[in-house]
Amino acid sequence: MTSRLPHSSAVRTLHAVTVAAFLLLVLAPAFVPTMQAQQTQRAKTLGAKMMCVCGCNQILTACNHVGCQYSHAMLKELDDRVARGDSDNLILQSFIQEYGPTVLMEPPAKGFTWLVWIMPIVAPILAFFLIWQVVRRWRRRAVLAPAGGPALSPELLDRARRQAEKEIDE
Amino acid sequence: MDIFGSFALLLAFLAAVYAFVGGIAGILTRRALLTKSALNAGMAVFGLVTLAVGSLEYFFFTDNFSLAYVSAHSNTALPPFYKFAALWAGQEGSLLFWSWLLSIYAFWALFLNRKKHPELMPYVGVTLAGVQIFFLTLNNFVATPFKVLGGLDASGAMHVARLSEGSGLNPLLQYPEMVIHPPMLYSGYTGFTVPFAFALAALLGRYPGEKWIHITRRWTMVAWCFQSVGILLGAHWAYAVLGWGGYWAWDPVENASFLPWITGTAFLHSVMMQEKRGMMKVWNVWLVFVTFMLCILGTMLTRSGVVSSVHAFAESSIGGWFVGFLAVVFLVCLAAWWKNRDYLRSDNQLDSLVSRESSFLFNNLILLAACFAVLWGTLFPVLSEWVTNNKISVGPPFFNKVTVPIAMFLLFLTGVGPLLAWRKTSLDALQRNFAWPLGGGVLAGAVAFAFGFREFYPLICLIMSVFVTLTILAEFYRGARVIASRDGTNLLTAVGELTMRNTRRYGGYVVHFAMVLIFIGIAGSAFNQDIQKEMGPGDTLVIGKYTILCQNFDQVSNNNYQSERATLEILRNGRSEMMLYPERRFFLASQVTETMVAVQSSPLRDLYVVYAGRSPETNRPVIHAYLNPLVKWIWFGGIVLVLGTGLALMPNRRAALVLRPAGEASWGAVTQGAPGSPAPSPVVRRSGAHD
Repeated sequence: MTSRLPHSSAVRTLHAVTVAAFLLLVLAPAFVPTMQAQQTQRAKTLGAKMMCVCGCNQILTACNHVGCQYSHAMLKELDDRVARGDSDNLILQSFIQEYGPTVLMEPPAKGFTWLVWIMPIVAPILAFFLIWQVVRRWRRRAVLAPAGGPALSPELLDRARRQAEKEIDE
Repeated sequence: MDIFGSFALLLAFLAAVYAFVGGIAGILTRRALLTKSALNAGMAVFGLVTLAVGSLEYFFFTDNFSLAYVSAHSNTALPPFYKFAALWAGQEGSLLFWSWLLSIYAFWALFLNRKKHPELMPYVGVTLAGVQIFFLTLNNFVATPFKVLGGLDASGAMHVARLSEGSGLNPLLQYPEMVIHPPMLYSGYTGFTVPFAFALAALLGRYPGEKWIHITRRWTMVAWCFQSVGILLGAHWAYAVLGWGGYWAWDPVENASFLPWITGTAFLHSVMMQEKRGMMKVWNVWLVFVTFMLCILGTMLTRSGVVSSVHAFAESSIGGWFVGFLAVVFLVCLAAWWKNRDYLRSDNQLDSLVSRESSFLFNNLILLAACFAVLWGTLFPVLSEWVTNNKISVGPPFFNKVTVPIAMFLLFLTGVGPLLAWRKTSLDALQRNFAWPLGGGVLAGAVAFAFGFREFYPLICLIMSVFVTLTILAEFYRGARVIASRDGTNLLTAVGELTMRNTRRYGGYVVHFAMVLIFIGIAGSAFNQDIQKEMGPGDTLVIGKYTILCQNFDQVSNNNYQSERATLEILRNGRSEMMLYPERRFFLASQVTETMVAVQSSPLRDLYVVYAGRSPETNRPVIHAYLNPLVKWIWFGGIVLVLGTGLALMPNRRAALVLRPAGEASWGAVTQGAPGSPAPSPVVRRSGAHD
């Protein structure tokens, strides 16, 4: 019994290792593509935040210009950095250092470039305010303006009312 | 022949100068004969520029490569229709083409009105001549297409060189749409010169009333329609040729074409307020001025190299000329407005905020907000570089974030506007008109949401699209029902009758419906999918319900290009549906390779396949497939837009006269204080008035 215990323990350990190895072998392929897919998706998301620097004005992942000197190398670098586990911020910063701030698809909302974001909101509000003032002035004038038009006799007005009623009935 | 073309162009310039100077002298001295000869000179420009264009085309079609422009943009093997289109392939030729289109517009504007508006036309002639002088200056002295190859020898004698073969047309332009797209877009750009000339003329000459608006209404609609078609064809070209799976990249040159379209749209709406109520006169005049200036700005952006774009011509120093011209135009407009601002006083005031007038006001505000946002984003990189000395990019994410909410609000207003009455809308009418279109929109949104449609903007777009469509249908139905019950006709006949009675109004509704279709098509882009894979014969790629089976790769060639072609079988649910043949073409003359996309298009989705080249690592062919839903709706919307504009341009059905019985006074008689007039008074039963 005592002599079998170590044996049975060793066998159990061996069985456990075998099962674990089997599970790893069986399940790993199921996990690996998922991990790769996630990486690809992350690279795709990051690539969509950057512009190809070949002058095509297209997002990095969309540049398909034949013979583009930049997009292939940039995408490869992006994939490598994503695979290495670099953070999004680190990857974007390294691309800015390498290719300049034009590599970013949209400018950050800080410093001078903050203006690019704020003006499309401020300008319509200002325009709305201006129009509101014009409309108010118009309406004030409309209230103050005396009624115009030629003076009509009561008979003519009566006739006009009868005609209008007749036309409405029709 | 080059001398002939140059000479014709120089004469055209001199004729334009005479039309300008003689026109001003005619206005100042009030000498009718001088004015008439100046207007005739303005018309003669068309004939002379036509000769210059014909001369350049002669060089293209005879493969005469002694001209630098022809040798840079054509070659012997180029198909004839591309030789024709090579006219506008480069900076110099496209500027000549611009001048030609402008001269056509100017000729027709002057010719059709030669016996009308004697007070207005001299100013119109001078304004048109001023614009022509600028472009003909560029054609003659800055970017001439008639520059010959060769040079001076030691003795100072000129030797003309003639190449045996040209460099060929840019492969990206060798696509059927490139024969149509630039003429359409340029016709839009140049077309806005006519309303601009009439607006400035009316202001300078203090021409009474809204006459200039009536005269230019059709010109503006034609220019707007050309601009719309030009933009849509450009988008289709980008989709079918550039091979990145999209049709609009918010590229500076694309934006440049979009800006005058936005202000032109605003003008087409606000002009109705001036016609109906005599309001917004200053606004309308400035909208036309701004639209014209944006056309010039767009041309400058395309040609100056100020902003980088795949669509732009090569960088040149021509931008300075455009900046100078823009400054002159702005100063002239400003001075004309300031001097005559009392002439633009409104006849009426806004009676209620719930009225069609206020909806037009909001519509204009929103359109101008969109215009500002696009202009701001387009020019901000230039401003940033100028201020901070740092180059930055403003790409599609910025434009999408800023313009999509604006577009949704605009779509909402498209539905609201027609439901509101002029002057004031009662609460009852508001409830009656809004209830079921809005209910229908919300119901459609709820059903879509229940079926798992959760993307925010596409959902809003769906609700708004259903709402707008129902308001349009309701407008047709309400009007047609009255006619059908009165005339005893069926509803369909009544719809035709209603439409032909007021073509502008109902044509406008058709254009609104076209915009709905275009919006739905754009909303589909939220659900785009794409996948890229290295493929050899026998390999498959799955995207959505489609399986792409690679059969083989072969080579096709002709005099113009050599092509590597993929043969792909498209299977859907396991059944073979069709074959697609994406290509990569190597153009022999220009030594450039380009992709040729293969698209299987259906109303629900496009399967868009690109042969993207060979992998640098494995040298295996790479196929990139996209599944783009609803794209076809955009192109279909474009067709409906043209039909709607065509309808709006048609004259209303002739008014029929119905005589009142004797003894019944007309309203004219009543208001003139002559009650009971025994004479029968003709009354127009079928109104020809626009709404």
